[in-house]
Amino acid sequence: MEPAHLVIAPLLTALVTAILTLATRNYLNVQRAVSALGGLGYLVGVGVLYQAIQADADGVIVYQLSDWGAPFGITLVADALAVFMLGLAALVSLAALAYSVRFISDYGQRVSYHPLYHLMMVGVTGSFLTGDIFNLFVWFEVMLMSSYVLVAFYSGKEHTRAALTYVVLNLLGSAVMLLAIGGLYATTGTLNMADMAQRLADPAAFGIDPAPVLGLSAILFTVFALKAGIAPFQFWVPPAYRAAPAPVAAMLAGVVKKVGVYAIIRLYFTIFAAATLPAGLSLPGLSGTSFLDFFGPVLFIMATASILLGGFGAVGRKTVDGMLAYSSIGQVGFILLPLAVAATVPEVRTLGIAAALIYSLNHGFAKALLFLASGIIERMTGTLEFANLGGLTERAPVLSGGFFLGALALIGIPPLSGFFGKLLVFDTAARAGADAALAVALVGAILTIAYFSRAWNRGFWGEPVEILERPSTTLTVAVVALALGVVVLGIGFDPVMEAANAAANAALDRAGYIDAVAPEVVA
Amino acid sequence: MTQFALAAVLGLLFALGTFLVLRRDIVRVVWGVTIISQSANVYLVTMGGLSGSVPILSHGAHGEVGAVTDPLVQALVLTAIVIGFGTTAFALVLTYRVHQEHGTIDLFELERGGDT
Repeated sequence: MEPAHLVIAPLLTALVTAILTLATRNYLNVQRAVSALGGLGYLVGVGVLYQAIQADADGVIVYQLSDWGAPFGITLVADALAVFMLGLAALVSLAALAYSVRFISDYGQRVSYHPLYHLMMVGVTGSFLTGDIFNLFVWFEVMLMSSYVLVAFYSGKEHTRAALTYVVLNLLGSAVMLLAIGGLYATTGTLNMADMAQRLADPAAFGIDPAPVLGLSAILFTVFALKAGIAPFQFWVPPAYRAAPAPVAAMLAGVVKKVGVYAIIRLYFTIFAAATLPAGLSLPGLSGTSFLDFFGPVLFIMATASILLGGFGAVGRKTVDGMLAYSSIGQVGFILLPLAVAATVPEVRTLGIAAALIYSLNHGFAKALLFLASGIIERMTGTLEFANLGGLTERAPVLSGGFFLGALALIGIPPLSGFFGKLLVFDTAARAGADAALAVALVGAILTIAYFSRAWNRGFWGEPVEILERPSTTLTVAVVALALGVVVLGIGFDPVMEAANAAANAALDRAGYIDAVAPEVVA
Repeated sequence: MTQFALAAVLGLLFALGTFLVLRRDIVRVVWGVTIISQSANVYLVTMGGLSGSVPILSHGAHGEVGAVTDPLVQALVLTAIVIGFGTTAFALVLTYRVHQEHGTIDLFELERGGDT
């Protein structure tokens, strides 16, 4: 088999699993086995793809659908950045899947849960692999369509209401995305990302006016910010995460959000960074001539707003899942902050992107762990309100240990993965001499400590509450597995850092990306 | 001339869609979203440039060969329309479900019944 075919391996695995789980829906145990095997197969597929990229001379493997060369056909590109994100998705989704098998009711699983879950993974995988902005829209829709149903899964009162907000907002986001993509096609004459980067690098030769491209890329940015739940587009996050079943909330926070982050890194650091700003453009805070110099301050403002809004919001929450949802807004700010610094200061660009990736990885693991743990707590005590919780350390020591590790990882205690995430964020800000970014990160870190210690005090210590039901051990095992993941990623940090560095270099290696895709130039 | 007509229609459609999205009635909100995404489709066609004849070159070959409409935008719009169908259907089903759960499709009353 040619290495190019490996690119579609994860995509096909997820799709075939989705279809098989639909076909075996009347045989409960078979369906669950197929679903779990599919999750494992996905991880293997990503692993094989990673190996292939390591073995490849350029580190980029391109699959041209039906052998139509770029820019005419649809291109799938697997490079270090895409595979890094795929690895995160594969690991988190496997834990959430194992958890779902015991957590979701038999009826729910039989009706639709497994096919939807795997179709969501198809969308996530496609978004990471696509090399074409219109297909990015299509994969987003595939992912969102399944996530709409999963948010509304319990279809109780607050679930339908949260799903309605989520659906309407995302439909509007999709329309805006379509507008931006249409505009970009009209101004640059291409949809292929590599081709677009090539054309934007030499706008005069292709008759491209950079001013509309800047505006359209800013419109497109709002859509990714909406999907990633970055302030000021964060308001849909808490109700949707609270309404979704715990493993789905874990996936939404751990993986689906990262698709927005990935799109920002890929498009703004690889594609649009090629262009130069129109001459004579003067905006406050604008110093350079690259598109990134424009997006740097924008990213910084949004990151600051996210960190503060999420942090203060989380401190004031009355429920565990509400706190986790707000914390998720704040943590996305932490992912965005090094990107903002990296966009403004070219010297720390690789480090900044690597920091954002490591933080994404840490947040993916830790937040998924915490959401899964909150699901078990609700099973055990029947409530997630801090007022009615207490003494969980005595009632469920293993679960509490897992929750504690997840909280420590987000706070950033060594040797957990979160320590390196936070360290790199601070390092990026310090090396760039960005005092403001450093200050924001410090405030954010203190807020993180505040809301987690509050949660710990009120939920896990004190008078033990009555336990309604002992949840099955499988649920706790999924939490423990993720907790181990957080520890292992921290202790064996070297390979993780290498992978993140390779991914950051891949994101910035525009020439390599264009060469690998090799779009024919048609003026 | 066509450009002006299309631009005016696009503006009207977006205005109408926005107006409907801001209504209290959920069905109207869904209609508004549908109209906005349809106007995005019309915009996509407009962005492809209007000049030229049918995108199929060889068969029949009416009009000027060489000046053809960009076929890519039409393919894009087809894809977007199909996705739009799916999402609209889902939004309508969800509206029905909201009505079943809350006994109302008035957004103000939904908000009042909320606990957040």
